[in-house]
Amino acid sequence: MTTPADPPGQAADPAEQAKAVIEYCYDQGWTDGLPVVPATRSGVEAFLATTPRGADEIIGTAPHLGRSITVAQAAANAIMAGCQPEYFPLVLAAWDAVNLERSARGAWQSTSGPSPLIVVNGPARSRLGINCEGGVFGPGFRANATVARAIGLIVRNGYGIRPHELEQATQGLPGRWSVCLGENEEASPWEPLSVVGGVEPGVDAVSAVLIRTCEYVDNRGTDNPEAVLTDFADTLARMGAYLGGGHSSGGLVLGPEHAQLFGRYGYSRADVQQWLFEHAVRDRADLAAAGKGDGPVGDPAQAGTPFPMMPSAKDIPILVAGAANAAISMVFRPFGWAPWSGRSVPVAWSRALSGV
Amino acid sequence: MYDSIIDPTLGPAADSERGPMVLAGRPENLSGLRLGLLANTKRNAEQFLDEVGKLLVDQHGVTTVLARKKPDITNTAPEPILDDLRAGCDIVVVGVGDCGSCSASAVADGIILEQSDIPAAVICTDAFTASADAMARVRGVPGYPYLAVPHPMANLTPEGVRDKATAAVPGIVAMLTGRAMAAAS
Repeated sequence: MTTPADPPGQAADPAEQAKAVIEYCYDQGWTDGLPVVPATRSGVEAFLATTPRGADEIIGTAPHLGRSITVAQAAANAIMAGCQPEYFPLVLAAWDAVNLERSARGAWQSTSGPSPLIVVNGPARSRLGINCEGGVFGPGFRANATVARAIGLIVRNGYGIRPHELEQATQGLPGRWSVCLGENEEASPWEPLSVVGGVEPGVDAVSAVLIRTCEYVDNRGTDNPEAVLTDFADTLARMGAYLGGGHSSGGLVLGPEHAQLFGRYGYSRADVQQWLFEHAVRDRADLAAAGKGDGPVGDPAQAGTPFPMMPSAKDIPILVAGAANAAISMVFRPFGWAPWSGRSVPVAWSRALSGV
Repeated sequence: MYDSIIDPTLGPAADSERGPMVLAGRPENLSGLRLGLLANTKRNAEQFLDEVGKLLVDQHGVTTVLARKKPDITNTAPEPILDDLRAGCDIVVVGVGDCGSCSASAVADGIILEQSDIPAAVICTDAFTASADAMARVRGVPGYPYLAVPHPMANLTPEGVRDKATAAVPGIVAMLTGRAMAAAS
């Protein structure tokens, strides 16, 4: 690696060697644009030791590309993303959760350019240092950042779906492959999202939904829960997110202050969902004026009635994350027409890590 | 130099087993041949292919038209649809690749039909040539020729679709008879 221009001894400098290795990985086309950590056999073995799953187990297939992905290959990509070995069971659970989404199959090549919103529940949040509080959408926390990044590298390197080639996102979205957050269970008035997703309370679990963007709702001026719900419903009903085909999509990452306001007034999660389903509606004429009046919007039998923008009450996923320091929440936009699978994935730890 | 670094793109060994590809032989012209149309669910795809079918019947002596629509824009056509086309067609027009996923899978459909010795003409819009080219490489046929028509397709009126089909027919005929193939090789 030395050239005549190198100062004497530079090739032996470990920092220079590390830089050269990073450049080598760039040259192979393996990175998402940021530096990666090189994956070695011993590194992969350390990752495999954290999971009960076999190295050769197939965790994903893309028949149209003739590609499959193994657990060992996922480990290599998780190393490259910057994960610690003990994050790897989360990466595998996140991958499985993403693949429960009906829309995942075509997502990675889509012009929509969606990205997973990954949610972690359970005691692993504190053990692994997964941020659930301030700045939860990142950056700044290794586990959050690298688990999400690992999913992106698995898609890129495992399926060979790369931007400007098979990946055809028109614009993509800010924060693609970088959103993994812990639910702030301690600040939530309700059961964890993973319990909604069918996993026992107190069990580490990962949920995922593919999203096209997030939009904040800043409402700190009222103690009236219906006023805050009105604000959410307005954002949920935004026409730009409607693609035709029957309904738009939306979910909420509630900041703790908004969640606790609802809790104080006795709203369950289902109450909030029902209210939003009933009020996130549009005038059919508005949609027609925006060139979106075809199909169910234009149904003559329904003329004069408001058009519901959400698929159903239960298909508005709601979780709680962030700091209890301002009444700010986030609306997120699930990709495609299929709502969240509604299923969370328990994290499978190796015997050594499960503590049993 | 860095032999100890693991290549993260390497999957199961079986994934790399794909033999060399030979494209279908081409007829001199389309007279007397049975045409297949393989549409996807993108807006205007079926309408476009229908117009192409009519023009090939009227102007090029195609005898029958078998139209099929695949249900999924990402994956290749399901086997029953491919079997119908293999059984009932001598040539197939595939389209329209008008999105990231469907442009790639249209090329894959075309290559699968070629493997069954059926000449295929794949139509993509010119916004998605990178995706189409990438799929051709993935399928082991780098440079597989397809017809790139001007983007977009989805927002065209029926007249616009007809005009686009009329403009595309000479290119489609060239692909099916081998003139475009010769030019590409």
